[in-house]
Amino acid sequence: MTSIWTIQFQSLPFQPSILGSKHHIPSYVVELRPEVSSSYGRLNWTRRLSLRQMFVLRAIDRSANSGCEDQSSQDETVKSEAETTIIQDPVRKLQGMISSFPPIVFGMRQRMGSHFAIGICIATAFLVMAVRVYMVRKSRYSRPGSVADLVRRGQLRSDRRGISRPLKYDDPFDNPLVKVGKNNSTVEMCGKVYRLAPVTLTEEEQAIHQKRRSRAYQWKRPTIFLKEGDSIPPDVDPDTVRWIPANHPFATTASDIDEDLAQNNVYQKHGVPFRIQAEHDALQRKLEALHSDQKLNKLVIEPGNAKDFERAFKSYSKPIERGEENFLNDHASSSKPPLSESEEMQKP
Amino acid sequence: MLSLRFLPTTNPNSSFFHTAPHPPTSFKPFHNPISPKPRFPKPSSSSPLTVRSVLQWNRKPELAGETPRVVVITSGKGGVGKTTTTANVGLSLARLGFSVVAIDADVGLRNLDLLLGLENRVNYTVVEVLNGDCRLDQALVRDKRWSNFELLCISKPRSKLPMGFGGKALVWLVDALKSREEGCPDFIIIDCPAGIDAGFITAITPANEAVLVTTPDITSLRDADRVTGLLECDGIRDIKMIVNRVRTDMIKGEDMMSVLDVQEMLGLALLGVIPEDSEVIRSTNRGYPLVLNNPPTLAGLAFEQAAWRLVEQDSMKAVMVEEEPKKRGFFSFFGG
Repeated sequence: MTSIWTIQFQSLPFQPSILGSKHHIPSYVVELRPEVSSSYGRLNWTRRLSLRQMFVLRAIDRSANSGCEDQSSQDETVKSEAETTIIQDPVRKLQGMISSFPPIVFGMRQRMGSHFAIGICIATAFLVMAVRVYMVRKSRYSRPGSVADLVRRGQLRSDRRGISRPLKYDDPFDNPLVKVGKNNSTVEMCGKVYRLAPVTLTEEEQAIHQKRRSRAYQWKRPTIFLKEGDSIPPDVDPDTVRWIPANHPFATTASDIDEDLAQNNVYQKHGVPFRIQAEHDALQRKLEALHSDQKLNKLVIEPGNAKDFERAFKSYSKPIERGEENFLNDHASSSKPPLSESEEMQKP
Repeated sequence: MLSLRFLPTTNPNSSFFHTAPHPPTSFKPFHNPISPKPRFPKPSSSSPLTVRSVLQWNRKPELAGETPRVVVITSGKGGVGKTTTTANVGLSLARLGFSVVAIDADVGLRNLDLLLGLENRVNYTVVEVLNGDCRLDQALVRDKRWSNFELLCISKPRSKLPMGFGGKALVWLVDALKSREEGCPDFIIIDCPAGIDAGFITAITPANEAVLVTTPDITSLRDADRVTGLLECDGIRDIKMIVNRVRTDMIKGEDMMSVLDVQEMLGLALLGVIPEDSEVIRSTNRGYPLVLNNPPTLAGLAFEQAAWRLVEQDSMKAVMVEEEPKKRGFFSFFGG
């Protein structure tokens, strides 16, 4: 339907433009088509209205003029003389369509004006946006190294940094997202309204459930954990023993420290943790023992022993290595024990 | 019940006070505070910044019970949201201003550090503390977002926990935390492993109260009932439940048990009802707990409400049943 109407709309300007622009309208048209000639005045009026669309009209004129030669028009006249009586009804239709023409032209004119205004608005909006973006960027770059700058550069994650922003509402029961209805029968949470129903559980029912459970589940908390194969100590209730398989993935009954020591470790508030201290002390003691026994001097790699470690095929480099060994020996004996010993001592 | 904690110096004019009209009803919607709540209005933009920061929290829950409140979060069945609940309730408590120590007692399969985004900062665990490799304060991982929240993992994933001490180790830990120099924490929340194995026994040993997490399905409910029985046998009487992953649309279609049905089966007081929310998975993967999300999500709000009730030792008096179609205005047809 719409396509038909648009076709008609497009075809409409042709006819009057041809007729209007050609000042030498053939008289036969006037004579043979009284209806068209009578509507000519209207067409003139139409033309007057559509004068501003000269660019359209001219284009049509040209095509019309080029197409119209006297000879052909006369031939057409002959044809039209014969057909006039037949196509009287279509002519009337055309007349009706032409009569509806001026409002369309007027509408087109209006649309032209509004398009221009809309264009200006869009251009202005783009301009404002561009200026705003420019201003924002300018203000952002003004403080390099700020947190926002770090977030923008990907150095910080904005949602994880520091103390997160507190939410704006005051309490979870009464805030813009949670609203209890006027008669307390509904609540609106996050834009959805929920109906509320009162809780019906009474103290008696709770007590009945507790009794039922106490009858159903007879249980004593295990106080001792034993692995399979261990014997139950004499003073322990067998119900309170928990058997842990030896290959349990996460739990083990074996522990390398005793209970008091573990408790002290938990309660310790200051100072070096127990194990670190113990390891340090052990190292210290070992070092002291080494010093006292004068073992340090003996630990030096002796040239004779060093030979054992030498590889046979490196014999050509012997003099150089000898020299190095001498240097090493002197250095080690004067300052510190050799590397192998110190490595050994670091192990607990 | 409620107390307002504000500084007297920032006390605004009496005209600033107004009472929110709350008509007396047969039941109270979520908690039982005094119904007219004295509230501060939001400070205007002209007020100084200091006042604004003080007034950020104009209503605080009142801490009930003795500190430290040692709460074990357990379920029996795995995958119902114990660790998620621990992370979100713990951080909600920290946001409310309470000092919190969360202990991940899941010996072999710890995940709490991942949920909190602290996995790279766990160097020492309780096993190292027991062995004397480090002190307790060195094993506590302080969250940078909320500095009154600390995480303590019980063991490294590949190490074995010596069970020789049983739950004694956790009791020592609680004692050691009580006598800390910077003060006793208000809450010690223990994330219990699934099952009723040695890890469960270790986790519940120091607890005074328990939060049972369950989902509205029969497998989870049976395990929850069993675990509740064990807890009661062990002497933990204060047991409340959180019903997790509730879908009101399925409840409406009678494809899922309602929260009231769950309560009828277990006979436990309700601490919270957490709706199913896709944001939970997203926040888990990000290592950023749900309650810190801005804008807040439905499940995050529910966790915060649960934390509030935990502080006040309160329980729900009404539950959300189904979603109602929102009343639309006259102009809603036009998109208004």
